[in-house]
Amino acid sequence: MGDGTAAATAGQSTLQPEFLAEWRNAAYNCYSSGHKFCREVCPVMQVTRDEAHTPTAFHANVVAMEKGHLAIEDVARDYVHCTQCGACELRCPNTLFTGDFYRFRQRTVDLVTAMRTLAVESGIEQPRWKEWNELTERYRSEPVLDGTPVTQDTVAAWAAGLDLPVGGETILFCDCEAAFSRTSLPRAAARVLQHVGIEFGLMREQWCCGGPAAEMGYADQARRFAEHNVADWRSVGAKRILVLDPHDYITLTEHYPRYFGEEFDFEIVLVVELVAELVREGKLELTSPVERVVTYHDACRLNKRKGIYKAPREILAAIPGLTFKDVDHVTQWSYCSGAGAGFAIERPEIAAEIARRRVEKAAELEIDMLVSACVWSERPLGAQGSSRERPIEVVDLMELVAQAAGLEVER
Amino acid sequence: MTTVELAASVVDELRAICGHDYVFTGKSARFNRARVPAPFPVHRWEDHVPQAVVLPQSAEQVSEVVKLANRHRIPVVPRAGGTGLTDGAVPLRHGIMVDVKLMNRILELDLQDRTVTVQPGINMLKLNEELKKHGVIYPDNPASYPCSLVGGRIGTSGWSLIGARYGHTRDLVVSFQIVLPTGELIEVGDGGGRKVRKSSTGYQLKHLFMGHQGTLGIVTEATLELVPRPEAEFSAFFSYPDYMTAWHSTGALAKSGIATLAGVVIFDERKLDYLRRDDEAYIPQPPEVKAVVATAMYGNADEVRAGAKRLLEIGLETGGSYLGDEISQGDWASRHDRYATPQHGRTRSGQVALMSWHCEDASIPWTALPRVREEWHAIADRLIERFEMFDDWGMFAYTNGAYKPWADYLTEIDIGIWEMRWDEESWAAWVEAKRDIAEVAIRHGGSISACHGACREGEVDLVPLELGGGFEVMKKIKRALDPLNIMNPGKYLLDQAYEEES
Repeated sequence: MGDGTAAATAGQSTLQPEFLAEWRNAAYNCYSSGHKFCREVCPVMQVTRDEAHTPTAFHANVVAMEKGHLAIEDVARDYVHCTQCGACELRCPNTLFTGDFYRFRQRTVDLVTAMRTLAVESGIEQPRWKEWNELTERYRSEPVLDGTPVTQDTVAAWAAGLDLPVGGETILFCDCEAAFSRTSLPRAAARVLQHVGIEFGLMREQWCCGGPAAEMGYADQARRFAEHNVADWRSVGAKRILVLDPHDYITLTEHYPRYFGEEFDFEIVLVVELVAELVREGKLELTSPVERVVTYHDACRLNKRKGIYKAPREILAAIPGLTFKDVDHVTQWSYCSGAGAGFAIERPEIAAEIARRRVEKAAELEIDMLVSACVWSERPLGAQGSSRERPIEVVDLMELVAQAAGLEVER
Repeated sequence: MTTVELAASVVDELRAICGHDYVFTGKSARFNRARVPAPFPVHRWEDHVPQAVVLPQSAEQVSEVVKLANRHRIPVVPRAGGTGLTDGAVPLRHGIMVDVKLMNRILELDLQDRTVTVQPGINMLKLNEELKKHGVIYPDNPASYPCSLVGGRIGTSGWSLIGARYGHTRDLVVSFQIVLPTGELIEVGDGGGRKVRKSSTGYQLKHLFMGHQGTLGIVTEATLELVPRPEAEFSAFFSYPDYMTAWHSTGALAKSGIATLAGVVIFDERKLDYLRRDDEAYIPQPPEVKAVVATAMYGNADEVRAGAKRLLEIGLETGGSYLGDEISQGDWASRHDRYATPQHGRTRSGQVALMSWHCEDASIPWTALPRVREEWHAIADRLIERFEMFDDWGMFAYTNGAYKPWADYLTEIDIGIWEMRWDEESWAAWVEAKRDIAEVAIRHGGSISACHGACREGEVDLVPLELGGGFEVMKKIKRALDPLNIMNPGKYLLDQAYEEES
């Protein structure tokens, strides 16, 4: 579609036909729509107010590049400004009102990834992302400990004393942040699963899921990490993968099937959904009261990317003693912790401001605890919560579940 | 036209004023601020690219930027949401773009004298998220409600979907602070006090700076009206066997005197055809439905309940059939999102083509609506006959008066445009069609624009015809306030003010 082909050949860095075949239609759909309703829900745009950081610009750039007005080097830095939370896609009238009939939706998150990948392939790297991915390549895990090596020797150290086997039909996949930084989360989750008698093991050698590398444009690295993890699962006969982290859940349910096609026959289970089911069926009894006033932070990748917002609320409603001041999941489309898609690595100040605003919203509810189901959100939200005059504690939903089930929690 | 770079010393001065991180000279920052959602000559994108973009955070910074521009004789174009449909925020002479989006703070909330004072970069939906906690709202509600910004609303003198109940932007903005084209900061309102709603002191300057499309300065603060958050909303949609019955019914509803009535909208047959193009369309009505009228009311529950009863009686007595609660409530609730979808575009042969929605709007007296409708569709048909890239998406007409919804209507014909097909010939034909559309509006006693403004190519040619001697006054004012033609030059034919001088 369009008549830009001739102009494109005159462009500075011509977009390849394969790229255009995938993105031209989407770009014109956004360009032609012009609603811009995505802006005020975008967590980054809400802080920077920079029109070059909007989904409108992300799509219009494709049109401008095809016409030869812009080149990848002109726009690469702009595409850093996205946490890939998915709010813009939900708020897009193109998705809302023509999605089913025309089988079309705006895929801004994928476009951002495609542009970041194009940048890396064109030799345009963001300095902190480059370093982050080099370290991930070296250690096989993301360098979440600010310089302290995250080695394969310690990747399962979080499980010390829990007596978890290696291998088995069901594997618990523990993301980098939880494995090295917030170990209270995987320990709480493991205890809950053990408590109800679910058998599961760890990987022989767990590498990063590769999702962050993919999101930052390092496609080859992402693919290699995925291949390793899948090979590891196959080597122990795994059939079912339990996932704690919403980011991993996206990687394993969206990226891996894209890499491996129909061969990818593992059942991917989100622990939050599993626990909600256990509670619903009476297999997990939550009887220890938690006398706190809480609100729930909808993890972007669950709420906005996967439509999972009921399960966490079901769990919270089942915890005795809790005063739960809920904010509906649609209002939370415009909330984010700033932690996703490498954004906080390259733009830590903006990310911190996004987190500050999120915690401010929580504070307005006069709560003393913010519950999240996304481990990556917990560090930035926790930092903001603890720096307040009246501190707000940030905990993971699984930590709260373990406490309510009368299990040991080490937060 | 090739963009000439600003001198490095000027960029340094801008950085000294706004801060290093808030001045952009990169291509992406500039190309992405060259257009608005209106039809854009994509084949001439470079003609509209600013030379630098600044994101000021205070009125003083805006003032200093404008003074700098005067010293160096560089054009200044203000931009708020960039959602307008008459190109106010599209540069015609490059220059410095003053993007006010970062000026989005709430400065004062006064629940006693019922005002909120804000910076111009705040969005109404976001503002109302804060206000509703206090039981009040700012009821300026355009189609772009989720994304347009207060500064742009003043710059265009915007129109609100619920203006029949609460007034439009000019009625809802009590006063504001504006940087004049020479850089001075002044306050304008009804008289002196920022929160005064009615004064007889001096000239009424507020209206002068409403709808100037960036040609008379940059708004830096605004004091806005607060109204009680309505307890109740009631919307009712009616269907009709023909347009004329619907038109009579619309008139009766608008003249009913129901105080809670916030708006009456008539959809013509071609609008319904457009909306029937997919199975998610809001009106799954049988073919015999040829027109629809939508109504909405807001207020205290007891008032709305009584008003709704009267409204339903009038709708039915004048030939309408009530379309049911689901359509009435659901469609009204999604009114901002629903009507413009690129995939609804069709070529003459029925092929799906990704088209931009363009709304050509005018103020038309109720009595003239049927004639204007016929003439406008004929203009669209002639365009479609010549070019595969145009499509007629039908017409709406909305009650246009503030507080008193009778008399004239915001009348729009929506044209789908396959923008990737633009070339000089089709662009010229489009401009000609816009001129024709404007001519029809004036000939029938209307005005070229009810809500967007009238400074785009084509329609702008007829502004002197519409305003007569008023346009001569406009030019004198422009020259007096902006002696060097710094503010948004080229807009509204105001260059003529300077030609006559020399």
